[in-house]
Amino acid sequence: MGIIDVNHLSKQYFIAKRQEGMWGAVRSLFHREYITKTAVEDVSFSIEAGEMVGYIGPNGAGKSTTIKMLTGILVPSAGDVTVGGLVPYRERQKNARQIGVVFGQRSQLWWDLPTIESFELLKQVYAISDQQYRKNMDTFTEILRLDEFYQTPVRQLSLGQRMRADIAASLLHDPAILFLDEPTIGLDVVAKERMRTFIQEMNQERGITVILTTHDMADIERLCKRMILIDQGRVMYDGGLSKIRDRFGKSRILIVDLEKDTQLQVQGAELIRSEGNRKWLRFNREEITAAQLIQQVSIQADIQDLSLEEPEIDSIIRQMYEEGLSVG
Amino acid sequence: MSFSSWVRGTRLYFHMVAASIRAQMQYRYGFFMNILGWAMSYAGTAVTMWVMLYSFQSLEGWSFWQLIFLFALAVLSWGVCVIFFFHFRSLDQYILNGTFDRFLVRPIHPFFHFMAMKFDVGAFGQLLFSIAAVTLAYIQLGLDWPFWKWGVFTSAVIGGTLIQGGILVLISAIAFWTTRSERFYWVVMFPAKSMMNYPLSLYPRAIQWVVTFILPFAFVNYLPALLLLDKPHPSFSSYWGAFSFAVGLVFFSICYQIWMMGLNRYKSAGS
Ligand SMILES: Nc1ncnc2c1ncn2[C@@H]1O[C@H](COP(=O)(O)OP(=O)(O)O)[C@@H](O)[C@H]1O
Ligand SMILES: [Mg+2]
Repeated sequence: MGIIDVNHLSKQYFIAKRQEGMWGAVRSLFHREYITKTAVEDVSFSIEAGEMVGYIGPNGAGKSTTIKMLTGILVPSAGDVTVGGLVPYRERQKNARQIGVVFGQRSQLWWDLPTIESFELLKQVYAISDQQYRKNMDTFTEILRLDEFYQTPVRQLSLGQRMRADIAASLLHDPAILFLDEPTIGLDVVAKERMRTFIQEMNQERGITVILTTHDMADIERLCKRMILIDQGRVMYDGGLSKIRDRFGKSRILIVDLEKDTQLQVQGAELIRSEGNRKWLRFNREEITAAQLIQQVSIQADIQDLSLEEPEIDSIIRQMYEEGLSVG
Repeated sequence: MSFSSWVRGTRLYFHMVAASIRAQMQYRYGFFMNILGWAMSYAGTAVTMWVMLYSFQSLEGWSFWQLIFLFALAVLSWGVCVIFFFHFRSLDQYILNGTFDRFLVRPIHPFFHFMAMKFDVGAFGQLLFSIAAVTLAYIQLGLDWPFWKWGVFTSAVIGGTLIQGGILVLISAIAFWTTRSERFYWVVMFPAKSMMNYPLSLYPRAIQWVVTFILPFAFVNYLPALLLLDKPHPSFSSYWGAFSFAVGLVFFSICYQIWMMGLNRYKSAGS
């Protein structure tokens, strides 16, 4: 039994058809028509204490819905969840003490107050001792440089600052488990990196179990040994990252800006897009190196600029569909 | 619940309320406008009532100052109620923008947490206004209450707060089913409050029955006012007015239960 056990978990949303106007709203109290939307379907997995797991999938896959069931926000439609031996939605307050939660898109801090006040309020809310509070605040301030914006109201923080404050706030009460829903969404490269370093440190040094959702492949590569891939509410893959990457992550895309629009004839790569002077070439890095490819191109045309792209999670999933892999 | 958890809960409530007040004060202009707005809107209502009542001097056997007393009593408990519960009507906003989620991942009761999120300082303006109005009516009517009548008065204020707070809780609970709540405030609470400014005997029997037994607005001001002003009730004993607090307690706990039922159906918001 793991610290988190999920068995045949499903969630359906019943979305009421909107009825217009005041009377529509009153009528809808008594008679409503629903559309059923299955957001999570028959999901099972188990996570051991101390693991760091990436919960990955494209937009709308059901990641947030799963996290909301694990944190006790939503009641499952079917199946079981236990987190640290508790059923989250039945024992919300007890569960709240053992988990930390961060939603990348929305802050849990007091919007209109200087940032430091949110920390002080959370100290009261979680009944954190002075000693524990000081210790954590010192650590977090040092790593995340919270002191740069202590006195700034949360609503005036940059996205990167806000995420730093939010993740620190979620760890103030020393939770055993940390849920991060899109912790790097919208951040610039430096801020992303800082976030990742912090998450890694918390996992390695404090042994906090971390579940993070993302659709940023770099987050996973950097942080997670294990990933659970979901699409349309179902688990497509659960296991090590290397296996997926070996199989699907070998393709790269070379983007070149040419001096003038030229018909390229290249070996070992596929022209997947072309917009004026800009060309997108997909290749398999085991069959041809980027250098070889660039050389081929430069013989045929003058290159003004170039960049290399790793495959996005979305395209990996698309590729998984095409090649029909569905590892349970 | 143990005594120490009550103490902790109360302290926490004050901490959060203080935070809410500081947050409101961040917008200094809005803060004062809010207070002024409340005071003005009630002064407006009072002037309208004054003009109307003055023209007939008495209504259904109620004298001018008795009518003012009836009105002021309703505004008094509403003023207290607004301070604690007014933000319940906009639960739909909290749900839609995702703020409500956080109340479910903290180690405090979600109802309590939501209640402590906002403390409407602006309503103090109105509270002062209604205290002044009650005092004025008390003097003008030459009242000299014995001790038990002060008890009835206090029970009416607390009961009235609970009854009207209960309605606001009920309205907010609708958001769990329909994702809407604010608009129901304007259909239910607004007309009901305007109605309460006049003696209930003006209205059809069916309405009197509803506001006595279903949505017990009658216990907010009409029934206690009858007792406090020694007026007979057309059909019941005037001692019904002594039960505001009990009725408020029962009604509020029913509304709270419905809110908690709604919470189990909470759907959160799509991201
Ligand atoms: N509160 C909600 N009500 C109705 N439908 C929702 C709600 N939340 C999410 N959904 C729908 O459920 C599906 C999964 O959403 P979500 O779990 O947010 O996905 P992800 O986080 O992976 O992007 C989507 O189709 C979304 O539109
Ligand atoms: Mg999401």
